[in-house]
Amino acid sequence: MKYSHESVAVPAHGSQTPTQDEKFAELQFRRAESMKMGGKVAIDRQHQAGRLTVRERIEKLVDESSFREVGTLAGSGTYDENKRLVSVTPAPYVAGLAKIDGRPVAIGGEDFTVRGGTTFGSTRRKGGQGGFIEDMAHHYRIPLVNLIDGAGGSVTSLKRRGHSVFPGVHGFEQSVQLLSEVPVASAVLGTAAGGPAGRAILSHFSVMVRGTSQIFAAGPPVVKRSLGQTIDKNDLGGTKVAVDTGGTIHNAADTEEDALEQIRRFLSFMPSNVWEIPPITECNDPVTRMDERLASIVPEKRTQAYNMHRLVRMVCDDDSSFEIQPSYGKSVITMLARLNGRAVGIIANNPMVYGGAMDAHSARKQIHFMELCDTFHIPLVFFVDVPGFMVGLKAEQEGTLREGMRAVYVAGQLRVPTITLVIRKCYGMAGMATCNKNDIDLKLAWPSAEWGSLPVEGGVAAAFRKDIMSAPDPAAREKEIEAEFKPYASPFRTAEAFAVEEIIDPRETRPVLCELIELAERRLRSDAGLKPRYGVQP
Amino acid sequence: MPQIEIISPVTGTVWKIERSVGDTVSEGDVIMILESMKMEIPVEATESGVLASLNVETGASVNEDQVLAMVQA
Repeated sequence: MKYSHESVAVPAHGSQTPTQDEKFAELQFRRAESMKMGGKVAIDRQHQAGRLTVRERIEKLVDESSFREVGTLAGSGTYDENKRLVSVTPAPYVAGLAKIDGRPVAIGGEDFTVRGGTTFGSTRRKGGQGGFIEDMAHHYRIPLVNLIDGAGGSVTSLKRRGHSVFPGVHGFEQSVQLLSEVPVASAVLGTAAGGPAGRAILSHFSVMVRGTSQIFAAGPPVVKRSLGQTIDKNDLGGTKVAVDTGGTIHNAADTEEDALEQIRRFLSFMPSNVWEIPPITECNDPVTRMDERLASIVPEKRTQAYNMHRLVRMVCDDDSSFEIQPSYGKSVITMLARLNGRAVGIIANNPMVYGGAMDAHSARKQIHFMELCDTFHIPLVFFVDVPGFMVGLKAEQEGTLREGMRAVYVAGQLRVPTITLVIRKCYGMAGMATCNKNDIDLKLAWPSAEWGSLPVEGGVAAAFRKDIMSAPDPAAREKEIEAEFKPYASPFRTAEAFAVEEIIDPRETRPVLCELIELAERRLRSDAGLKPRYGVQP
Repeated sequence: MPQIEIISPVTGTVWKIERSVGDTVSEGDVIMILESMKMEIPVEATESGVLASLNVETGASVNEDQVLAMVQA
């Protein structure tokens, strides 16, 4: 028998025992009620705001017909005086299992059309911090995707419950635990404050939409009441603040579709969990490809910057790179990419931005990326051109030294195979954050490389100050001592001492890196599993 | 035809302007060179087109994210 929504507008589920057909009809009716979400008016309003509904988002992100909903019937039923069901307002959260590029994920998101996606007072939370969908990701060891569009708890629950809840819902520890087990990706697709905002941060990758998404600890009304400041929600928590300046969210997207595509892209590099290694894809870009332009990309004049993005792309598989945090901490570039179809994490200093000097922001960005790749067994390749930590009053006020040394500390704990390739400068403590000393500490270099505790130029001026100042022509004397030291700065002298393992022709970079990354596979497999972190970051 | 903003990657000064308004530029062509932290920073066309405007002069101080030029793609 076929049931339709119309035929069972008011199912007969009252005091009398329902028949089998009536039970099926009720199931059908309840499912249909759930699909109506917050109703046509609320859905139209969502669309007018340039936003999709949670069901549309899931449909766009996951493989066709792969969504298997869990908790479809959760909601608030309305019953007539005979206890017959009249209607159901669905829970403001839609969740379930689905596939992305053929691999299973747990996915869920607030339904903003139902009471603005506020927390739902069910027996068991469907989603958000400590929600059922998190337990699914943990239990089945599959990635978790959060589609965030809600402002969290509502004060109205206080009256319903009869008491206020201590901060930190039970099960919240699951949100934390997941970060060491499975990839967690979150898209902020509306205005997120409170719990949902916090949930977005507890992710390996987060993305938000320019213009239609905002995220903050608290929105404009609270800011107005607390500080007397009047500020628009987009000025307070739009992408300019949350992505470009604060680094609160990793990436910005132009549209919701773009945000969902970025999540798909991110997950394509990830294993399903930490007990597996990342998937290897087919590669049509020849491993032996040697880009002639690499020979001349680094200018001979050492004060001239060059395009590091272009350099990295010449080496990696065609169109394989996906940059994380492109607009934050720009003196370092962090991107997922592929070498002969294998996932790699690229960390490249950017000479275009303050000569590639590490500041507090780029250090923080590098730390997150190193931990991400280490956790999911993605080998790291450093393209090094770092003159040191950023200097100056602003840099000191931002705690650059501390953030920079945290990067050194985290690099010192890396266990994933790492290749250090020095393109040009590698100086000082910032240079220490580009090596994995726990591994074989493999350091490669181009002939354009130079390194040391500090460059000969400034170093000579500092160490021979007396000598220089007492000379009849101090400038000439400084040049003279520099000329005396300069030959020792040649990378070939270091290679002679076997203190770097190999100097390569820039054109050989791709074949060499592809080979080493392929070699890393056995090591990655044998290290697969949880990587607990101990100790205290400085 | 979209107007593409050419953005300064750093705070620094304009050292040398390499191209003129009306020039045809290809993606990757150097439009001007900035100086910052003792480094010469080339500012490149991010898309091919015609250089529609130059918003700064040689010697000018520029801020990070400032629009330096426009390219009509």
